[in-house]
Amino acid sequence: MKPQSSWAFNIDGAALFYAFSQQLLITFNFVENTIILAAVYGPKAISGRKENPECAIVEVIWKPKTGIAGSNEREAEFIVKRTLEHIILTAMHPNTAISVIIQVVNDDGGALACAMNAACAALVDAGVPLSGLIAAVTCAVDKEGMVFLDPMKKEEKDFRGHACLVFPGRPLAATSAASLAIDNEPIEHGIVSSVTKGALSADDYLNCLERGRAASAKIAEFARSSLERAQRGVEMVVAS
Amino acid sequence: MEMETRDNDVKRSSGQLESSPYINKIVAPGDIVLDLGQLSIPTLRLGGGLRQDQDLVIATKAGRLKFIKPNKVWVEGSQKRYIPSLDDVVIGLVVDRRSESFTVDIGGPVYASLSIFLFEGATRRNIPNLQAGSVLYMRVVKAHRDMTPEVSCVDAMGKASGFGQLKDGFVFQCSTGLARALLSRPTCPVLEALGKGLSFEIAVGVNGRVWVNGDSVSTIILVSNAIMNAEFLSAAQQQLMVQKLLQRVQ
Repeated sequence: MKPQSSWAFNIDGAALFYAFSQQLLITFNFVENTIILAAVYGPKAISGRKENPECAIVEVIWKPKTGIAGSNEREAEFIVKRTLEHIILTAMHPNTAISVIIQVVNDDGGALACAMNAACAALVDAGVPLSGLIAAVTCAVDKEGMVFLDPMKKEEKDFRGHACLVFPGRPLAATSAASLAIDNEPIEHGIVSSVTKGALSADDYLNCLERGRAASAKIAEFARSSLERAQRGVEMVVAS
Repeated sequence: MEMETRDNDVKRSSGQLESSPYINKIVAPGDIVLDLGQLSIPTLRLGGGLRQDQDLVIATKAGRLKFIKPNKVWVEGSQKRYIPSLDDVVIGLVVDRRSESFTVDIGGPVYASLSIFLFEGATRRNIPNLQAGSVLYMRVVKAHRDMTPEVSCVDAMGKASGFGQLKDGFVFQCSTGLARALLSRPTCPVLEALGKGLSFEIAVGVNGRVWVNGDSVSTIILVSNAIMNAEFLSAAQQQLMVQKLLQRVQ
């Protein structure tokens, strides 16, 4: 496993920018040299066939850095969409669409996890109602069975396989943790999405899960402190 | 009366709203902010940004958890997008005219509908003459997630009370947090400072729209810019900014 300091700087910063057009929110998420921009539009009205009278439609568009979007991008869009549908409370806005646009500014490995984190922060800033936050990490396993977090593209060749794991964020709770457990397992043991590539043995995968879960706690903490800073900034205007 | 720690040891809470651990703190979506089993209040009114899951009250938006005695609690955050809710006062633009109603853009997910009879003194013969692009000051009378929102230019008694068309002037957009700050009491520092040096008229809609009118175009531009720039500044910084702007003009 990489030493602590090396993955600590994987998140250099997440900046929340209020952009100029209506209902747009942009978030940067830095993971080493992977930079992803996520923008959220909505809830907004959509026409005719696509609208669902019971809930909002979540649309994800993945724009690669160069070239046109192909089947890899479609796959990524689908995975991000399914993950976000888990956290967005779509029943609160029927007959509308919530669009998430993921623009890859630079991809040096771990883009999917980075995009999930960026999309989640963008949704929070846009005020879309959510049932919780998510924290995503990429774990890779090398030939010796060692687990690495946030691998870079050039390192990926040496790895047997890698997994993008999305964990639920850690909520603050005014009630005791015991009452929140599902089937006697604490909610921290949950997982939202898991995408694996390559050949991983069952043990490798379980190791990844363990390391990834620990790393996701740091990401969740960071997301929460950025969110607090953004809300506090807005409140400066109020006189009292 | 605020809880001093964020421990899960809620037995210390006295059962009142003020002593809940997350009141007046910034919460994130998914945070379980209240446990109804621990509160001794018979009924609790949940405002925006909160939902109930059996005995737990969970936040759905990021913002500060606020409360009013005895039993109203909500999450206050700032967004660019406005979601219509009942009794809000909004500024809208007329988009279209249909036989019995106007279609108005209030900045929400869908356009709102304004019946032609909801103006003071309106009858079938005396329909208000509003063209596309007219600016109106209205209140929301129906806002449900499954239906088109409806607005009105009269109060509950049928009188205009300040609602209706806003003539001349300039409309710009801001976030919902800034709009609420402009409407708060005591007066927002930026408005107070501008009022000392200039004379202008202003109307603020909680949908994040502000209408400004003044004697000259330069006054209107100055006021609009000052308000837009005031969003992330503290009270002292706002006053300083307004002073600098006024000096440049005079």
